[in-house]
Amino acid sequence: MTDFSTPRRQHPLGIAIISVQFLVNGIRAAWPVLIGITFGGIEGYMLLGIPIVLGLILAGAVAYYWRFKYRLEDEALVVERGLLQRERLLIPFDRIQAIQLFQGPLQQLFGLTGLRVDTAGSTGNELQLVAIGKSEAESLRQRLASNSQAESKTATETSEQSQPNAPANGPDGFNRQPLVILDAKRLIKVGLSQNHLRNAFLGIAIFGSIGSPLESAIESLFGALPSAAILALSALSVLLIVPGLVLFLLSGVVISLGLATFQYFRYRSAIGSEGVQIEMGLVRRNTFQVPYSKVHMTVWKSNWLKRQLGFETLQIRQAQASDQANASLRVFVPAMEAQNRKVVEGILYPDMKEPESFVLSPVRRFRWVMWLAAWAPSLLLFAAWSPAAAWLGTAAWMALTGFTTAKRFGSLQLRAYANSVVLERGWFWRSRTVIKMDQLQGIQWRRNVLLERRGVGHITFHTAAGPKPFVYVSKHEAYALRNHAINRMHSAHSENAQPAF
Amino acid sequence: MEFPENPAVNMDQLPLLQDVDVLPVDRAYRKMRLLAWGVVQALILVAVLAPFAGQLLGWLDGVNMGLIWIPLLVQFALGGLWFAEEWLGFERRGYAVRERDITYRTGWLVRNTVTIPYSMIQHSELSQGPVSRWLGLNHIKLFTAGGSGNLRIAGLKEEKAQELRGVIDARAGKS
Repeated sequence: MTDFSTPRRQHPLGIAIISVQFLVNGIRAAWPVLIGITFGGIEGYMLLGIPIVLGLILAGAVAYYWRFKYRLEDEALVVERGLLQRERLLIPFDRIQAIQLFQGPLQQLFGLTGLRVDTAGSTGNELQLVAIGKSEAESLRQRLASNSQAESKTATETSEQSQPNAPANGPDGFNRQPLVILDAKRLIKVGLSQNHLRNAFLGIAIFGSIGSPLESAIESLFGALPSAAILALSALSVLLIVPGLVLFLLSGVVISLGLATFQYFRYRSAIGSEGVQIEMGLVRRNTFQVPYSKVHMTVWKSNWLKRQLGFETLQIRQAQASDQANASLRVFVPAMEAQNRKVVEGILYPDMKEPESFVLSPVRRFRWVMWLAAWAPSLLLFAAWSPAAAWLGTAAWMALTGFTTAKRFGSLQLRAYANSVVLERGWFWRSRTVIKMDQLQGIQWRRNVLLERRGVGHITFHTAAGPKPFVYVSKHEAYALRNHAINRMHSAHSENAQPAF
Repeated sequence: MEFPENPAVNMDQLPLLQDVDVLPVDRAYRKMRLLAWGVVQALILVAVLAPFAGQLLGWLDGVNMGLIWIPLLVQFALGGLWFAEEWLGFERRGYAVRERDITYRTGWLVRNTVTIPYSMIQHSELSQGPVSRWLGLNHIKLFTAGGSGNLRIAGLKEEKAQELRGVIDARAGKS
């Protein structure tokens, strides 16, 4: 194992990677200027600027590389960096939310690895080491993981929150039980069960932005044809609707497959004593490591296609500031099967083995409120169509929304166990969210005057990973659940010297 | 952690949040909120009446004076609703301090009751703007991880705010 106690620099090849990063960031920041220059006409002397800029970038990268040093102290990762404005970052192990190893194309080329550490107050990438040797990265990851795990273990043991079902440690200290491994066949299945409609629109958007030369080529082609031929062609174009739709959907499927390959290529995930570990990606390979105590919410999602294949996607959500919803990383596990869910939930939420203490459904008579909200778009029909057609359209729309609202409303369910809350919703796109009461940041009970009179309101669970509401619950049930949850929060912390967060 | 074997029985022995007394915030805070209401209403009124005044003074042409009632009625309706919210909502505004958590209740039209345990508070903040300084008021903001559960208790007398902050800080981050 490498000794990290003395300050060390990254791998020298990191200079190349840092240079490319600086270049990309520079182009991203200065692209309007660059486009302006291109339109203004490029003079010969301007080209001289290119080597100067490149030289500056290289010098900056060398300086950044030289000043960037990291080391491990007993309880923290310490980083010193910065040329003019020097800073010293200290990240205590117990604040680490997730450890991510990544290999972009350059890192793969050089046989290096990048390492990213996420903390709770992180702005997304608080700390990135872009280039360290593979074996070094692995032992650094293990040191960070074992330390944050050891820390959380002492914390969890006192609160008796340890994961009794987690596999015991193996000889390397990390025993893992494989969870989801995507071979080619399953990868294709995952690709086939994506949202093709959305991906097809995505494809059109991309094509529209880069395919404009093709468009003008087609236009000039049409301009060359005699007018009679154009008439004939436009009559024929009606016949193209069906093949066009098929092509549209097919392109969606192809894009889905491509995206899935891109994201989930050689996907391997495992669950073990130290947390959840995931490896994936084609061009950029990512390895995530999430300790159990830092999981603040798990969301299981599936659509109709996925359910036909017996798949669900698991999102593991960690603490994140609500105004940086996109900055923090979300860890995905696709192609979860029923037995996988049992394993994961058995480890994360051992209290689910007991029967639930609460089963709540929204008050049924409030379905019509949701339905009412769904009517609004049909008003547009009256603006666009004749009255008769608009009434017909409205009736059809209301029948459709009535059906979907009834289905969706019927699917809303809350089940609370001793410590876990399960929120289920959706019938076509289904989602199942699980949170732990002793990790809750707060509880909100919200209702307006009219609902108050009927003794109904909405309960919102504020977690470190964001709020999660459950609507139209009766007051008595909600109060009982709220009291239970509040007392769970307190009892977990009275036995615990430090907050679990 | 011993899981309750029969939670339904345990439920009855748990302390109940709905039984706690809610302390009101300072009366002067209503003054502050009504002041804000008055200023915003006056600004909207000026904006609504500007075209009609322009017509009367001859700066503008073609403004139909018969329509003056429509924007005024809309403003009175919305302003009145807001006033009702401020007036009636103030009576419902208050906080409840327990040994391990704090609850804040607001609103008449839309009613909110938020509870956060002290152990989840990351840090707290006392703030005071020019108007609240003039009225001798302080606002406390409590920050939790993730930020979705942040709580702002507004309109406390300065010494009350200091006292409450002392209570919270002594317990924040601990059990």
